[in-house]
Amino acid sequence: MTDRRRINGPPSGTRPAVFASSLNSASDIATGRPQRQRQPNELRKIFLKTGLIPSASGSAYLEYEPSASLAAARSSPKSLIPPSSALKLACTVHGPKPLPRSATFSPNLVLTTHIKYAPFAARKRKGHIRDASERDLGVHLETALRGVIVAERWPKSGLDITITILEAEDDRWWGDAPDSHDAPWGMMNVLAGCITAASAAISDARIDCLDLIAGGVAAIVADESEDGEAKPKLMLDTDPAEHKAILSACVVAYMPSRDEITEIWLKGDSSKALLGPDDKRSGHEALLDGAVDAARGAHSVLAEAVRESAERFAGLAPGGGATQ
Amino acid sequence: MSRHRVKAVAYDEDDFDDGYDSPDPEEQEFLEQCTAEVLSQLLAGSPSVTATRDEVQEALWHYYNDVEKSVNYLRNKKAKETKKKESAPAPAAKAKVPAYPLPPDLVLQEPPHFSAADFFRDSPWLNVPAHRKADILIEPLYPRLGLLGGAPESGGKVSKLAALAAARKKKEGDKASTAAPAQNAEVNKTPVPSTEQKGASLSLRERLAGNGKILKPEGAQSPRPLGKLSHPGSHSPQKKPSPELVKQNGASQVNSANVQQELTAEPLVKKEEKEQPTVNIRASPSTFASTIVGDVTRPKLTEPSPLFSTSLDLMEIYGQNLTEPFDFTGPSPDDVVLNAQSSAKGFKSKQPASKPAGDKKNQTDLAGGMNNLSVAEKVTVKSKNLDVLSEYQKSKRKNAMNFAVIGHVDAGKSTLMGRLLADLKAIDQRTLDKYRREAEKIGKGSFALAWVLDQGSEERARGVTIDIATNKFETEKTVFTIVDAPGHRDFVPNMIAGASQADFAVLVIDSGTGNFESGLKGQTKEHALLVRSMGVQRIIVAVNKMDSVQWNKDRYDEIEQQVSAFLTTAGFQAKNIAFVPCSGISGDNVTKRSEDPNVSWYTGRTLIEELEATEPYSHALDKPLRMTIGDVFRGSVQNPLSISGRLDAGSLQVGDQILTMPSGETALVRSLEVDSEPSDWAVAGQNVVLNLANIDPIHLRSGDVICRASAPIANITSFTAKVLAFEHLMPSMVDVHRGRLHVPGRISRLVATLDKGSGASIKKKPKIVAPGSVARIVVEMDHAVPLEAPTRVVLRAGGDTVAAGLLE
Repeated sequence: MTDRRRINGPPSGTRPAVFASSLNSASDIATGRPQRQRQPNELRKIFLKTGLIPSASGSAYLEYEPSASLAAARSSPKSLIPPSSALKLACTVHGPKPLPRSATFSPNLVLTTHIKYAPFAARKRKGHIRDASERDLGVHLETALRGVIVAERWPKSGLDITITILEAEDDRWWGDAPDSHDAPWGMMNVLAGCITAASAAISDARIDCLDLIAGGVAAIVADESEDGEAKPKLMLDTDPAEHKAILSACVVAYMPSRDEITEIWLKGDSSKALLGPDDKRSGHEALLDGAVDAARGAHSVLAEAVRESAERFAGLAPGGGATQ
Repeated sequence: MSRHRVKAVAYDEDDFDDGYDSPDPEEQEFLEQCTAEVLSQLLAGSPSVTATRDEVQEALWHYYNDVEKSVNYLRNKKAKETKKKESAPAPAAKAKVPAYPLPPDLVLQEPPHFSAADFFRDSPWLNVPAHRKADILIEPLYPRLGLLGGAPESGGKVSKLAALAAARKKKEGDKASTAAPAQNAEVNKTPVPSTEQKGASLSLRERLAGNGKILKPEGAQSPRPLGKLSHPGSHSPQKKPSPELVKQNGASQVNSANVQQELTAEPLVKKEEKEQPTVNIRASPSTFASTIVGDVTRPKLTEPSPLFSTSLDLMEIYGQNLTEPFDFTGPSPDDVVLNAQSSAKGFKSKQPASKPAGDKKNQTDLAGGMNNLSVAEKVTVKSKNLDVLSEYQKSKRKNAMNFAVIGHVDAGKSTLMGRLLADLKAIDQRTLDKYRREAEKIGKGSFALAWVLDQGSEERARGVTIDIATNKFETEKTVFTIVDAPGHRDFVPNMIAGASQADFAVLVIDSGTGNFESGLKGQTKEHALLVRSMGVQRIIVAVNKMDSVQWNKDRYDEIEQQVSAFLTTAGFQAKNIAFVPCSGISGDNVTKRSEDPNVSWYTGRTLIEELEATEPYSHALDKPLRMTIGDVFRGSVQNPLSISGRLDAGSLQVGDQILTMPSGETALVRSLEVDSEPSDWAVAGQNVVLNLANIDPIHLRSGDVICRASAPIANITSFTAKVLAFEHLMPSMVDVHRGRLHVPGRISRLVATLDKGSGASIKKKPKIVAPGSVARIVVEMDHAVPLEAPTRVVLRAGGDTVAAGLLE
């Protein structure tokens, strides 16, 4: 029985289909395809703000600055194909709160992470119930945060972390047909953003942590260079829409001041990385190093956001804030 | 610096000190000779090779002082070394465990990023080369240099020793900075080719940084591109200085033994490292984000919000302000219309159709007004807020007294009262003549006077009084209200109602032969007992119809004797009993003395004189208002609902809000009459008619009690009473009478029988209470009735009065 009381949107994609015929020539594709205009080691800018949701004990909003190609495509669209999107997500932290009566005794903080895409967040419309990929992201996030929260400090307590993704990263450029290399690369960026935002929200909720934890993404991409041959190169903070082929990608959750990694997610074939004649590192090592560097970059923003949160808290509750 | 993690540890000399180190002078001399020979041969060889003495001696030791073999070995070794130096990085980063406890670097807050890739670069998994295998030496925890517990440098007071240490440190820093430029030049000269060659040891970041930007010295720092963000205390991402780079740059060129030098060089290098691509990646909020955080980021609205500046203001665009912005706190226009419609449905005939949606204010008012509207108009009577008691004291009113006329049926009560009224001109002669004519028409001429009070057609037809009738007359001193009670035994409840309003009683006795005796057995006795138990103290016995016995003094004396004996037993005091021989039909001794010579024996007062001799009765004026409703009737068109009764306690004025019990409804006193004359106020003891408003007549019944909402009378279902038993009392069903009020109830418990005089308990829990005895009983009623403690109640059963008493 369908829900007749609501006017539900169509179950899947809502944007107009792009037909092959609309892409007349290869040059069209070439011009339409967004190009990475950043340096390989240059990160996108991040906007991170805490304390947006007053009812939650801690909250954060994170968004990536849209790629330059996206901004350009928006101002002067060359084709009907939508340009790449930029990550936008909101994170709320509820707790530490007492566990429900029905729950069994727990000497540690019970951490629950929920990651949910808004139905309109991604190219493929998401349902109201979390699907496998969202649950997967939740598990990754929980792993990342479990290593940073001092769980013994809060016995018999629960901590709910809920992340709503308002706009997700694309897995590929919309003009590209799905192919065998297609993998949910966008999820890696989403996870990195989730980790950073969750860390900010946890700090905003004044929950003890070992360190701020930041997420970073690096990828080995095989873009065609001018001479036509694909050279696998390491890039930081990749926007999947800007690359035709991502060979492998890695996301880490990294604590800079302790130089520790609590979560690694590495995907794809990193063996083909052409790092340079002098670089003896294997592909995945390079990926890891790159991801850590990206996380260090995100950490600078995170630290600033947390400092603002602390200042706001101190301003709201003078005296109380000083003891924290 | 990677002092914290010991990655590759070179063998120290100590490790090879395996007991062969014997200081034999002969051997020592021979070793010196061989060493000199080896060195000279090495220098003399085609590629001249320099080797240290130690190396040479080590080689000699291995080759058992064979000079030729040692020279070959050293030559090969040095060749290999130089080749390796060109192609590959130095095999092992020698982490020096300092021999001297070094101060831990206080400047270093975050440890540099330890790259696992760098560390295991040339070590295949599970196949570590032999030369990489090493004892991992954990640096022991040396005490911090400086004073334990000393004040931090930033703190206020510094101890002398700490100051000394700081001064020494500063001196060393100065020395290092003078040395730094030279070293810095070396670093800058070598880096590009050498790092290219030894690039494997560099992390990605260094390589990327090295591509575009040459490390700049500190002074040449360019302003940051996005200078908005300045983080004073924040940890800027500390780009990792590759520890090996520092070490090798330093160690290969500077004497590795000069640890101090290296230490001072390190922060310098770190500063340079910081310089590399720390572009600020903090973004400003997007348009979407600014809709969320706009107010948060800009707590002060002094600067114009970009949100508002970019958003469209239609009013401004069209340049005309035809509409007001809707205030969302109020009801929506739809709601207003719907509310008005729904509330207007019932009153369409009365109310004009709701105004068209347009002026919102009027509509909300209308909707509110419609809700308050009811069919019955609310009457508001302005109270004059009189101080009733002072008004009462100011007013020079005559004393007002009520008396009940009681007696056996056909004793001539109504006729006597009719005579009284007629003689005192309380009713005019014409009315009296009319009554007389009408009475003669139906053959009851003697009843003419009775008709003055018996107004009902049934009463007139039957010739008996059925309900109490009130009338009033005045003498010079007092206003009397007659409460004419019915004498028939069927109407005793009505008589109780009448008696309850009386201050004193007039007992009318038929002196006719046989009639007195039957009366004494009948209602004469019962009435007397009832009025006594209703609290009446004074009783005037009018020995009526004396003309029928020719004013026989003997008869009168006999009656007086019997009645006074009975009344004394009933509880009346002798001084409160007065006897008057009179005749109602002729009017003798009623208002005027009898002319009849037969009456000459009587020299006492006439009835009216006896009435006037009665002491005025004081009423509880300052108690809370209590009034038992005697009658509910429609007074006139102006006063559609009126009640009559006597104020038992308290006072009342026009405009007062009153509460009726047991219904609990409030009403408003629209106007009131005292003794049939309009008045603004009334006090206890007066007979009033209240014209009420704002109450439905169904809430008012005769017998209800009127009180004030501030001091309401309680509705109770059970009470304890001290009663005088007229009959045998047992737990049984009874009717509880209180004035007009009578409800069914039952005696639930006999608590005790009491002594008549002292009131002390004689017997607890008696099974039966004999007639004439006083008992304390508990009565329960089916319905809650308004009763309170000092109230006299009468219990009747089966048409007889079984007990009467006082509520406790």
